[in-house]
Amino acid sequence: MLTEMMISIVIFSAISMGLLMGFVSLERNFAATTDFATNHADAIRISDYLALDLRRALTVQAAQNNTTITIPSYYDANGVPQLPTLDGNGGVIYGGAGSSVTVHYFLVGNTIFRQQGAAPAVGIAENVRDFLFDVTDSGKVVATRITFNTIYTSAGSNAANLGIATTKTGSAVYNTTLLRNTRSDLGSGVY
Amino acid sequence: MRRSAKSSVSGGVILWTVVIMAVLSILATEVLRAVSGRFQLGLQVASWQESLIAAESGIDLAIVELRKSLYPAPNGAWSGWDNAPGNNVISHGLTTIPNAGLAGTPMTIEVAVDAPAQLVDPATGWQYYRIRTLGWLPLTGPPRVGFNKQDNRLRKLTLRWQRVIDTLFASETTQPHTARRLEAIIAPVSSFQQAILSIGTLNLNNQNIVIDSYDSRDAAKSTNGLYDVAKRQQNGDIATNGNLIQAGGAYVYGDVATNSGTATGVSNVTGVQRTDFYQAPIPIGAPTWPSINPTPSTVSGTTTLNASATAGSSSSRYLLSGISVSGTQTLTIAGDPNGSPTFIEIYVAGDISVTGSSQIILGNGVQAKIYFKGDVTIAGKGMLNPNDRPSDLLLYGVQPTDGSTHSLTLGGNGQITAAVYAPDYDVTVNGGGNSGHVFGSVVGKTVGMNGVTNLHYDEALAFTGLINNYKIVSWVEDTR
Repeated sequence: MLTEMMISIVIFSAISMGLLMGFVSLERNFAATTDFATNHADAIRISDYLALDLRRALTVQAAQNNTTITIPSYYDANGVPQLPTLDGNGGVIYGGAGSSVTVHYFLVGNTIFRQQGAAPAVGIAENVRDFLFDVTDSGKVVATRITFNTIYTSAGSNAANLGIATTKTGSAVYNTTLLRNTRSDLGSGVY
Repeated sequence: MRRSAKSSVSGGVILWTVVIMAVLSILATEVLRAVSGRFQLGLQVASWQESLIAAESGIDLAIVELRKSLYPAPNGAWSGWDNAPGNNVISHGLTTIPNAGLAGTPMTIEVAVDAPAQLVDPATGWQYYRIRTLGWLPLTGPPRVGFNKQDNRLRKLTLRWQRVIDTLFASETTQPHTARRLEAIIAPVSSFQQAILSIGTLNLNNQNIVIDSYDSRDAAKSTNGLYDVAKRQQNGDIATNGNLIQAGGAYVYGDVATNSGTATGVSNVTGVQRTDFYQAPIPIGAPTWPSINPTPSTVSGTTTLNASATAGSSSSRYLLSGISVSGTQTLTIAGDPNGSPTFIEIYVAGDISVTGSSQIILGNGVQAKIYFKGDVTIAGKGMLNPNDRPSDLLLYGVQPTDGSTHSLTLGGNGQITAAVYAPDYDVTVNGGGNSGHVFGSVVGKTVGMNGVTNLHYDEALAFTGLINNYKIVSWVEDTR
């Protein structure tokens, strides 16, 4: 009887241990996948924000985690679109001559902020301490690359085993934006 | 009452089964919630991006109509729209395009085009157009916001409550959807954008040819409004809609562009060489003026035509069946004796022939536009443009109604100062031998340069003449 009980306990323990390990693995995998999905959604949002402003950009100053873009001063003080006027050189301006609005993207602490004009900076992605956003200025087109650290660490699923150099590279979200307006900092236009 | 051991065991199994099922159900629910929420986010992001494509398509649709309006009537421009755009008149167009993806949701494109008074260029009188577009797609699935509030702040989706931005567009649904609004300002483009534009072959037959530019409006790029080699500019572009430019070793201070073709003899080109060029050859229709000078109806000897101080007036317009001067005959286009600005438009329905030692002489201050429908041969002493401003003498080749190709041969004395737009003509410039200079711009079906050593493109021509294209000069997304 004791022998039977001992055997059954061992078998039960083994099965329980297996189940526990499987559950923990699934849970870790689920957490990593959820984290990746959340970070990926953050990266896409940052990329979309940058692309939104780059499409209408007049100037671009690119640096890692610190990019400044100026856009037309389309809205008046009440947030209503202004009537465009000709600048006398074949171009168009909104507001007074030389008017533009500065949009600043930067990372502070855990948050990536977007600050438009003198308005308070607004967080567009939180818990993104490990994020890097790179903006490559090629004149008519500007490329952005958003990366973050993934938390896949097991030997079977890490980036190296997937043929990817680093976890950051593996998480990269790329976007290439054609600037629609003539750049006042380069004097070159698209159309 | 005593329970049996067997029923006790069965109850335990059922309990365990229920517990395990409950745990698995909770796990499955959590997984489903996480996955479906992110799927929903992905769908919303995709729809939001598609809305931008829809809105940008609206700009393209409006530009197509603007370009149609440049063709001779009837051109079908603004057909299907509620108006032709004008000052205080907004033209609306509405298009719905089936969509193969995103659950087959159609994209709706609504466009409003107007021509505000403040968008008239005072220098040229050209009207710029404002195009405002709305592109929207229905959102399928439950009207649920994403996991992160920042997504909603960026994409401003309409889920349960309609977002009212303005009353310009009426097509936007109250159902869940994503929408984007754009505003683009469209500027006219002159027919004289390059030093030479050929629809077909462009052949520079002389390796001594020099093509460069100057700007008669800018003292830093010209002297007293005239070309100065010391102030040479590098915008003497040459281009073809065809696939061959034979530059012949010419010195081109500008770019060389073909339409997926090749350029030969380009060792002396200072600018870039492009292969992505295409410029629609907008034809010119015969002028239809309500009233003109009744006489003369033709020119066949020494004649004087008087320009008028009022541009577009009947006294400034002539309809001639042909011009033929030879020997020592002259056609004088007389202006005000004191040289103040006067204007003249001449439509020659037949041929123009200037031979022997004959000459066409433009008076001081005269700004002339000459339309022609037949063959043109300018030889002899050529055409004298005393102000040396090519914008004062614009030559336009009218589209032949029979589809034939006519010829335009410009030559004569050592200097030609004019701008030529004749996209249905084989244009040959035979100017002046080794000391010949052409100031202006040449557009032809084919273009050949013989014996011309210098072509100087006046950049001011890009702001005069006929409009033959439109381009986007400002693009803004309305992110309210």
